[in-house]
Formats: sequence, structure tokens, C-alpha cells
Amino acid sequence: MAGLSFENYQRNQFLSSRTNGTPKATSTGTTIVGVKFNGGVVIAADTRSTQGPIVANKNCAKLHRMAPRIWCAGAGTAADTEEVTKLVGSNLELHSLYAGRAPRVVSALQMLKQHLFKYQGHVGAYLIVAGVDPTGAHLFSIHAHGSTDVGFYQSLGSGSLAAMAVLEANWKPELTKEEAMTLAADAIEAGIWNDLGSGSNVDLCVMEVGKDAAYLRNHRTPNVREPKQQSYKFARGTTGILSQRVLDVCQVEEQVVDVEA
Amino acid sequence: MTSIGTGYDLSNSVFSPDGRNFQVEYAVKAVENGATSIGIKFDDGIVLAVEKLVTSKLLVPGKNMKIQTIDRHIGCAYSGLLPDGRHLVNRGREEAASFKKMYAEPIPIPALADRLGQYVQAHTLYNSVRPFGISAIFGGVDENGPHLYLLEPSGTYWGYKGAATGKGRQSAKAELEKLISKRPNLNARESVLEAARIIYLAHEDNREKEFELEMSWCSISETNGLHKSIPKDLFDEAVAFAKKENDEENSDSDDSGDDSDGSDSGEKKDAEGDLQLE
Amino acid sequence: MNGIQVDINGLKRGEVNLGTSIMAVTFKDGVILGADSRTTTGAYIANRVTDKLTRVHEKIWCCRSGSAADTQAVADIVQYYLDLYTTQFGEPSTKAAASIFKSLCYENKDNLTAGIIVAGYDDKNKGEVYSIPLGGSIHKQPYAIAGSGSTFIYGYCDKNFKDNMAKDEAIDFIKHSLSQAIKWDGSSGGVIRMVVLTAEGAERLIFYPDDYEQL
Repeated sequence: MAGLSFENYQRNQFLSSRTNGTPKATSTGTTIVGVKFNGGVVIAADTRSTQGPIVANKNCAKLHRMAPRIWCAGAGTAADTEEVTKLVGSNLELHSLYAGRAPRVVSALQMLKQHLFKYQGHVGAYLIVAGVDPTGAHLFSIHAHGSTDVGFYQSLGSGSLAAMAVLEANWKPELTKEEAMTLAADAIEAGIWNDLGSGSNVDLCVMEVGKDAAYLRNHRTPNVREPKQQSYKFARGTTGILSQRVLDVCQVEEQVVDVEA
Repeated sequence: MTSIGTGYDLSNSVFSPDGRNFQVEYAVKAVENGATSIGIKFDDGIVLAVEKLVTSKLLVPGKNMKIQTIDRHIGCAYSGLLPDGRHLVNRGREEAASFKKMYAEPIPIPALADRLGQYVQAHTLYNSVRPFGISAIFGGVDENGPHLYLLEPSGTYWGYKGAATGKGRQSAKAELEKLISKRPNLNARESVLEAARIIYLAHEDNREKEFELEMSWCSISETNGLHKSIPKDLFDEAVAFAKKENDEENSDSDDSGDDSDGSDSGEKKDAEGDLQLE
Repeated sequence: MNGIQVDINGLKRGEVNLGTSIMAVTFKDGVILGADSRTTTGAYIANRVTDKLTRVHEKIWCCRSGSAADTQAVADIVQYYLDLYTTQFGEPSTKAAASIFKSLCYENKDNLTAGIIVAGYDDKNKGEVYSIPLGGSIHKQPYAIAGSGSTFIYGYCDKNFKDNMAKDEAIDFIKHSLSQAIKWDGSSGGVIRMVVLTAEGAERLIFYPDDYEQL
């Protein structure tokens, strides 16, 4: 048949009429933040991933490494944040190998925004990009349509409003590293407690000028599960045995071979 | 032409062992036999002049224009294979139009020279094409003032104060050099007269053939920066001036013997700038 | 959408919007660009200190309104073209820059939500302002206003603009105009940013709400 085929469209229409709509992608209904401090930048994220009203993963990782000293926090469609970060990350490595110098945060930013703009928002990645390079420490945010913002502090995701409230209340110029880490983690906690889409733990990544990035997985764990009051294991013999039959489903033959000879 | 017949002149895309591209050199030959074209740059513009050989009594005098307009502010004259020239001008018009579409302003003449140079050069690289059999003199006025360029079959282009090409280029160039060193601050109308005189002078070696003069100019003061043909009164004045000057020159040279007329046979006098084939 | 009227609410779902008040004004020594600093996603202010004044060449800048992603992408491409232009032909004119903006906005009008004001200074033409609204047309003006907030200040600007103002006078004119635009437009707010383009180069200015609200 010449021309375009629309049979998949018809199939999808049929399928969605017979089921509860088309399958939904896993969304990281997330809280992510980034905060600059004197001599570096820190980014943080919660660790809940959701599929609609269901928690898909209680301890997922939303902090992605794009280069050894450029990290990225992702909100939006989980698969998209993962893939776009990996793709640009590897192009960034090729670029730094070619140029013979450490990759720059602005390069990561430009590559990400051009990729996302090309896909007109269909790649649903909302990112906070941060890192240190030969020109200093940088912090940016990117929306799925390809727009970028600069700032001393950023927040993104469904919990960004709760996080921004904390950032706006407690941010001040000339933060130290420790103050920035606390502020970022506090902002994420605000998301964890007040946003339904966010929850579980706080991941953190600290990037300091001239130092290796420190990835602090589960920096805070405010949601450790209590041990259960009772054991739900059934004791042996709870169920009565009416009859018993044992089958040999496998016959084993062994042969000893002398290998010395 | 010692290397003729060694096979290296058959293809454009092959060098001869001593690093020459014969097809380009043959193209130069086509130019050297063409009718003379000259250009003069003056304080606020340029003038172009060509010798138009009358190949038939049936041709309409004063028509059949050889000088063409590339853009409103750029004119072009050329010697050699005329259809090649028309093709080059066509390309120039496309480049000028594309520049204007993109940037909403007329193309700077150095930019046009560069684009045409690249286009001509590309025709020296491939087996499937032949080089341009013309040397083009083009110029005009842009926001940086007047420009005059000579573009050769190799793709080489240089900016000139005065340029000449075609059969009568030797004497024309000698005359241009004298003119520019003696009178460096020519104005538009003086340049038109001188251009006419030089074409008439360059035609002397070819005097058995009938010819017609064609001239155009582009100047801030005279044409408001547009490329236009010379108005009839000035043109007639220039022709009269050219005829008078050349008559005087001829009677002078009768006295002083061989002075400035054709030394094309010349082994001794070899004008610089010409590609030498021998 | 009927072909003549373009859908001005054509933003894609969740797209970041520059619900903006922007303007550019020629004055005696050159041109001044001005903008508020609010970026919104729906009802949320995604950035309260946005920089909507974007450099595309040393002394050619633009004010962006519409979709943040679209206008940033367009400005990036124009910056690239002007870089290329500079190496090939030397310093570009403001008109040439505006022409590139126009081509991109016009050729891609179906996919863009971009209202841009281009302003620049060059020694030959001095300060110039070109307005490029949604359809991709181009208008040379002594001053231009755009963005959602501009509707509230058409009258004010028309009454108060003067040709060949002094620098301080022009800054005051912009500050008063944008102050009113911000006051009446909910999608505009934050600080007022300005860029002054003269023979001396580009100078940045910033005015905080405390400065301009009680004018």
C-alpha cells in the first residue's frame, strides 16, 4: 500500500476504548532543588516515584551524573530525564575528549535546551543543572519546552512550591557549604511532607570548585519504616496435612572420573 | 607550452607534475583573445568601459549591451566567452538577492567578490565542468565607498584602482598606471573621459576591426550610488575627447618612433600580472 | 484561528510564558531597552528575577515576550548568525539583525509564540528600534512597547514620548511606563531591568519595586 499507514492509530483508539485509556508513563512527581554557595553548588532531590496514585518506587535516584563535576536533578517523565541526561552526558564526554578540557556547565545547558526545544515539550524533562568547571560554579534550570533560567537557588517539580517557600524564607547571600546543604535538604523535606507526589528520602550532591563532586545518596532518611508490631508468618503445622506424595522428578547419576591418569 | 600533449591538460581535476592546471591556463587564453574591458576607480565611484567589436553590419548600433548590472549598486564588464560572463552575472544576481533577503541591505561589494570568487574557483576543481573563460571587472559603491575588482578564471580576485583585461590589456594597463600616478584624484566625469580614451587607445593595435564603445558608471555624486550607463551628452563628449587624444598621440608617436603602442610581439616588455604560459 | 487572527493563547500545555511588559526607546545618544522580570507557568511565578533583555551582538539586544523557550531559541540562532556575519562582513547593522529575527519569526510563525523588540546602536544609524510582533512583520519605530502589560500604557507612552530625550529623561520615561504596566498587569512584575546602548557600549541598570512603585 502506498502512502502513510494509520493502522496503529486505529489500534490505539480501539485499545483505549476497551481499557482505562492509554498507558501512562511513570512520572517523578518530584521535589528537586539547587542552591549556590561560596565556592560551589549543591543540588538535592526526594526519592519517590509514582504511577498515578501508586508509589512505584520508594527509593529511586533522581540525581544524574552528566560529567564527573556536572550533575543534574530531574523532574517530569522519569524515562525522559534519565535518557536525555545520559545522551547529553555522553556527548559532553566526547566533546571534552575532543577539546582536551573539562566540560562546562553552559555546554550541558545549551545541549539540553536545544534537544528539548527540538522535541517541543514531548520529551518531558524538567531539570536542574549544576556543576563546577574551569569558569566556576553554575546553577540553571530547564523546562521541557527548552527554556532556561539562571539563579542562586532553583526548585522544580510538583513539590517546587513547598520547596520554594523554604528557599525564599531562608536563603541569604554568601552561604557556606554546610548552610547550603541544610537549606537544600530542608527544601526537599518541605516537598516530602507537603506534596503528595514527593516522599521518602533526601539525596544530595555537593559540587565544590577544584574538588570532586560528593554524591550523598540518602543524605536524610526521615521515612524509615517502623519494624512491624507482630509477625505475620504462619507457624509450621498451621495447616493440617491430609495426604502426602513425593515424586522423583529428577534422577541423578554420578560417575567418578580419575583425572590424574 | 612545453607540457602540451602530456595528457595533463585533459582534465580539470588533475595537476600536472609541476603543479599547474592547464584547463585554467587555456581559459586565460580565451580571455586574452577577447575584446578589451577596463575599469577605473575614482574618489566616489567607478567607471566601466568595454570595446565592442562590430561583428556584423546588421547589428543595431548602441544596442546589444555588454556591461551588465549585478545589483542596483554593482556593474560588471568582462572579456572572453560572453555566455560564461552572462552566467557569472546571473550567479552574482542570485547572491546579491539572497544577501538582501537575509539582511535587508545591499550586499557589500567585497562580500560579492568573495562569493563569486568561490563560485569560479569551484569550476577549477571538478572533472565534470570547465573553468570560466572570462576575466570579469566588477565594482560599484557600497556603505564603505567605491570598490573595483578583477576576477580571473582561476577564481583569483584582487581589488584595483584601475583594471584592464582582454586583448588590449597591455597598453591599457600601461596607460592606467600612468594615469593613476599622474592624476590620483580623478573625479567621475574626468574618469569617464579617460576610460573612453584608454579603450580607443587599446583598440589601436586592432584598428582594422570596427568597434563601438560602451561605458557605465556608479558614483555617489553622479548616480546616487546606482549603476547606470553614461548619459548621451557625456558619452559623446568622451568619444570626441578619446578620438582627439588618440589622433594627437598618433602624430606624436610618428615623431618619436615606437613609444607606447602595441608591444604584443614583445619579448622585452612584459606587463606584470598576466599569467605567463611560455 | 482564521488565518488572519493568530491565536495569541497558543501556548502549549505547561509552557513557560513571558507574560511581560517590555519596551525599547531611542534617545539622544542611542537606545534603551526595558523589561519587567516575571516568568509564569499558569498561575505560578517560575522566575521572579528573569532577564528578558538578551544580547545578540555587542550593541544589538532584544526584548523577549511570549514563550520563553521559543524566544530563547530564536535569540540563540540570531546570535549565531550575527557572529558569522561579523567574521564575514564586519559589524552588522541593527536592521540586518532585525531582518534575521523577522525571517525566523515569519518562516516559523505556525510553531512560534514570540513577540520581540530588537534594539541596537551603530555609529552610522545611531539608536534604532524594530518591533516584530506575532505574525512576523517588522516595524521600525522611534520607540516600541510589547507584551501583555503594554496594553495598559499605550496612552501614557504616546503622550509622554519625546524625540531626542536625554539619557536620564529616557530612563525616567521607561521607568514610569513599566511601573504602570506592572501595576495593572498581573502577569508582569518583579524588578525593572534596563540596558543602555550608546557609542560607549552596553550599560545594565536595575530598579527594585521600592524604587518604582511609589513614583
